[in-house]
Amino acid sequence: MFQANPLRLYLACIKNTLEAAMCLQNFPCQEVERHNKPEVELKTSPELLLNPVLICRNEAEKCLIETSINSLRISLKVKQADELENILTKKFLRFLSMRAEAFQVLRRKPVQGYDISFLITNYHCEEMQKQKLINFIIQFMEAKKEISELKISVNTRGRLVATEFLKQFM
Amino acid sequence: MQCSVLDTNIVYVSTSTLLETQGIVTSKEILSATYEVIKNIAVGVIDIVDPPRLGFQLTLKLHLDNIPRGKAAEAIKIITRISEIQAIILSSQLKEMLKRLNFQDDSQAINNNNRPIRIVYHPSEPFYVFRQAEKITAAFPMNFKDNSDVVIAMSFFQELVEVGSQKEMGKAPQCSWSPVPPFQLRGEPVHDLTTNAGFVSFDITSRHVEGKRLDKTVWNLLNFYAYVKYHIKRLNNTRFEEEAPQKENGACKYVKELVKVPKGKLMMQQRCKDMTRRVKISKFRIRINGCARFRFNQRWISIPKFSSKSSNKSYTKLD
Repeated sequence: MFQANPLRLYLACIKNTLEAAMCLQNFPCQEVERHNKPEVELKTSPELLLNPVLICRNEAEKCLIETSINSLRISLKVKQADELENILTKKFLRFLSMRAEAFQVLRRKPVQGYDISFLITNYHCEEMQKQKLINFIIQFMEAKKEISELKISVNTRGRLVATEFLKQFM
Repeated sequence: MQCSVLDTNIVYVSTSTLLETQGIVTSKEILSATYEVIKNIAVGVIDIVDPPRLGFQLTLKLHLDNIPRGKAAEAIKIITRISEIQAIILSSQLKEMLKRLNFQDDSQAINNNNRPIRIVYHPSEPFYVFRQAEKITAAFPMNFKDNSDVVIAMSFFQELVEVGSQKEMGKAPQCSWSPVPPFQLRGEPVHDLTTNAGFVSFDITSRHVEGKRLDKTVWNLLNFYAYVKYHIKRLNNTRFEEEAPQKENGACKYVKELVKVPKGKLMMQQRCKDMTRRVKISKFRIRINGCARFRFNQRWISIPKFSSKSSNKSYTKLD
């Protein structure tokens, strides 16, 4: 219960920040005529960018929210306790990132220093419900559970294989 | 392998599986029983050439035309058995060595300086066997190419040691792992003892080399590397591929739910877009040749604002 509270506070903080940041509107590109680009990726016009917000739960877990007039980028860093979790996290999140088209709001490559990134544009906000988008992002914060399950299954499989190997001697 | 253009149905296969101790060959001879096993693999197909080719322990003459061509299953069986010849030779040598070490006294072992015997089943994957007090130890230097394989292997070795120390596994060989080579391997080539995943050791007692258990012990020792690598490969390849369709379907369903915008709002937005487009088209100048004097002054129709947002404030671009 005590451990769940810090997580809930962290998630609540991120949720409130996203609700405030997800006010996007269509804005054509100022550099190139008849183009419409997510300004948070280009970063060529400082007047279109808002101050980025970094929410840290601890040194290993943090969330960076960068907002602009027509787009929002959210980057997450997941806690990794050991080398095995590090590898499992990388493989799992890379697996998801390679299927970014299915998720629509997922970025193919995470921002440097983070494990996974999302890019939400004004078009997404027009087509999708804002609250559900936020809930979808928050759901990824719980990727740690998924990775813990993966770690348990790796160890379980290793145990079974070791048992079978040693039984052959008996 | 050697073959001649003059007679394409005859192939000579030479093999060598030497057991070494610090570079000195300890076991070169192949037992007569092993010769008999090899001859009986495929009668009429295999002939043993005596003496073997220079530098090899055994040379076989294969009569390819005697392999049954009509029966594919039988042909594959014979070919599989021929490919196992090296394993047969090595396992027979290892059996003899384990029996000899098992019956060796501790005093004899000390006289022989407990020198480890180097066995190579797979290329560049040697392992060592040496006698200790009341047991024989097989030490495997573990090497992997990828860092991720090393991490998975280390967790597997941890599980192996834990499972081996349980009461239920009391009859199995005691298993241990260490990051440094056992001190008995001093003097062995440095490139063999350079590892990135430590050393796994199995303590084999007399119980494991008696009777039918000897075959199982030898087979398990020879195939330990393959066992570990297969386990790691399965973990790397199957974990996410099996869950791929489920995750993708789940993702698509969830995203489709996000797309559900109320119909009324969507229709309103579509109407606004259509109206704006039509007004923009009507705003373009229509030029009729010869009627220049009738051209209107440049007073354009102001487009009504359909957006519910407040009017755009003018701003100057910052440098």
